[in-house]
Amino acid sequence: MDRRRAFWVLVVPPALWLAAFFLLPLVLMAVVSFRADLRGGLLTFPDLGLRQYAALASTPSFLRLLVLSSLVALAVAAVATASAYPVAYFLAFRAGRRAGVYLLLLMVPFWTSYLLRVMAWKLILGSSGVINSLLIASGVLDEPVSLFLYNRSAVGITLTYVWIPFAALPILAALQRIEPALMEAAFDLGATPLRRFLRVVLPLSLPGVLASFFMVFIPTVGEYVTPLLVGGSRGSLYGNIIQDFFTKAANWPLGSALSMVMLAMTLAWVALAARLVNLRQWLT
Amino acid sequence: MKRSRAARLWPMVLLSAAAALAACTPAPAEPGEVTGSLTVLDWAGYDASDFWIDFQQTYPNVTVSFEFGASDADIYTKMAAGDQADVFHPYTGWLQLYVDEGLVEEIDTSRLTNWDKVPDEMKAIGQFDGKQYFVPWDWGFTSVLYRTDVVEGEIDSWSALFDPAYAGKISMWDDGPGAVTVSSYIHGWDETQITDEQLEQIQQEWIEQRDLNLFYWAGEPELIEAMANGDVAVAYAWQGAYAVLLGQGVRVAYADPVEGRNSWVGVYGIRKGTENYDLALAFLALKLAEATGNNVVNLFYYGHANQDVMNAITDETLKQAFSIDDPSILERTNFTPNLTAEQRDAWTAMWAEVKAAP
Repeated sequence: MDRRRAFWVLVVPPALWLAAFFLLPLVLMAVVSFRADLRGGLLTFPDLGLRQYAALASTPSFLRLLVLSSLVALAVAAVATASAYPVAYFLAFRAGRRAGVYLLLLMVPFWTSYLLRVMAWKLILGSSGVINSLLIASGVLDEPVSLFLYNRSAVGITLTYVWIPFAALPILAALQRIEPALMEAAFDLGATPLRRFLRVVLPLSLPGVLASFFMVFIPTVGEYVTPLLVGGSRGSLYGNIIQDFFTKAANWPLGSALSMVMLAMTLAWVALAARLVNLRQWLT
Repeated sequence: MKRSRAARLWPMVLLSAAAALAACTPAPAEPGEVTGSLTVLDWAGYDASDFWIDFQQTYPNVTVSFEFGASDADIYTKMAAGDQADVFHPYTGWLQLYVDEGLVEEIDTSRLTNWDKVPDEMKAIGQFDGKQYFVPWDWGFTSVLYRTDVVEGEIDSWSALFDPAYAGKISMWDDGPGAVTVSSYIHGWDETQITDEQLEQIQQEWIEQRDLNLFYWAGEPELIEAMANGDVAVAYAWQGAYAVLLGQGVRVAYADPVEGRNSWVGVYGIRKGTENYDLALAFLALKLAEATGNNVVNLFYYGHANQDVMNAITDETLKQAFSIDDPSILERTNFTPNLTAEQRDAWTAMWAEVKAAP
């Protein structure tokens, strides 16, 4: 009886919330993707068909960009996770009593708007920006170069920066769960610090690493704000194309079809990764 | 006897009923006494009372509330989704869609004060099938804006946006229909009759242009900043950017291309089925009034549909921005045409392919 009540109180409200504001819109988007165009009202569904998917299939540049965006996301997620690991390790094992303060400092960037932090990179990378000024002052360059901003590397750098503090959190949680006795045991058995890390700490923290990786990878596949601000003419990602069809073209059907394809592809990546690293082993 | 007496009473009953009804239907009240509320779907910034000051002063007891759209597509889809705003503010290029989908009410121009001050060319933009559906309000030019200290000589053609001499210093607006417009001018094509082959060629040309283009600007401030710091020397731009840069003392010129400048017009429409039609009409009439118009010109550097407002401009920078001393400038200007939904879909998809190209 108590368990049943707990179920109703704990599970039903969030489930209803998700159903209304996540599942239903997702289903709506799926249905819209089968419409021929947006004419005749937004919530009418006449003549459903595969026209948008056919258009997508016959536009190789869209699919190419999707693959490219996944690769960018993969690289960003890998670098951000790898850079976040030492931070999390330090917080978990070396920071001691100050860990709380350091954690707070790690979170400070989130008190600033995401948009502002991306804009700040424009100031760093721009032709009159920090890097150019430094190179000119030190005599390496004679005049500023527009090499740093308005390309895909600028997008990668900015995204990696934005994600590192985020990526540290799941890793930190995983590291804190490690039983100190395990490391003492490894020490008593004569393991070197490196060996202790590789054989005990790293394997036990891998669920957190994986969580970090996907927490960065999945939103980055569809990212559109950063490319818009620092990407330039050649830095667009797949998310920019989707955004354009929704906010500029008022072509929801094609935008929805593009989104569904992206969703399918992201799920495929996750499934592949789960298979490769045998996710179930850690979850149970 | 009884019956005839009752019969004689009937007219009396009817009369008194009519009198009671008349008491309920208010005679046209003084604007100052009118109460009610009006909702306007507009762009952020236009909610400032500067841009509807005449209405605010004439109808002090009417509550005007604003909703915002982030783009024309946003405003259109909001209205299509059943937004209950009484008045909305789209730009040329989108009007046909509202008419086709039955989202806009006809304007009773006979009740629109200040209507006679609007030039006929602008009135025509809001007319479909001989009916006036939209009231033109703000307008401006599009042309090539360039830094005179970087560009040698004068730019006199839209093809400057494709000139390798300015590689890495060009910025185009992030917009498919805008790109089609530029290409049509350069090739001398009628942009309302673009064929699939022509669209294919336009796409190819813009893909090649991408290597010369630094970034596609999305908002005017972004462009102004890049032109002020010298990252961009040649750009597709509205006259607002020109006026701002002139004001900052940046050395810029606004081309008068041989193909003609482009001009866009912002209009207001009244939602079909609104219960506040009379108030909405009063709102639009006073949107055309002079104090409001002066604010549009002086605060936003936009043109206003009221010709008296434009003729009264004395500021040199603004006169230059609107080429007010050149009486033939409007004859050589191409107004953005109205597009059908098919054209819009094809042109925006073309632009997406330009951005997605390898």
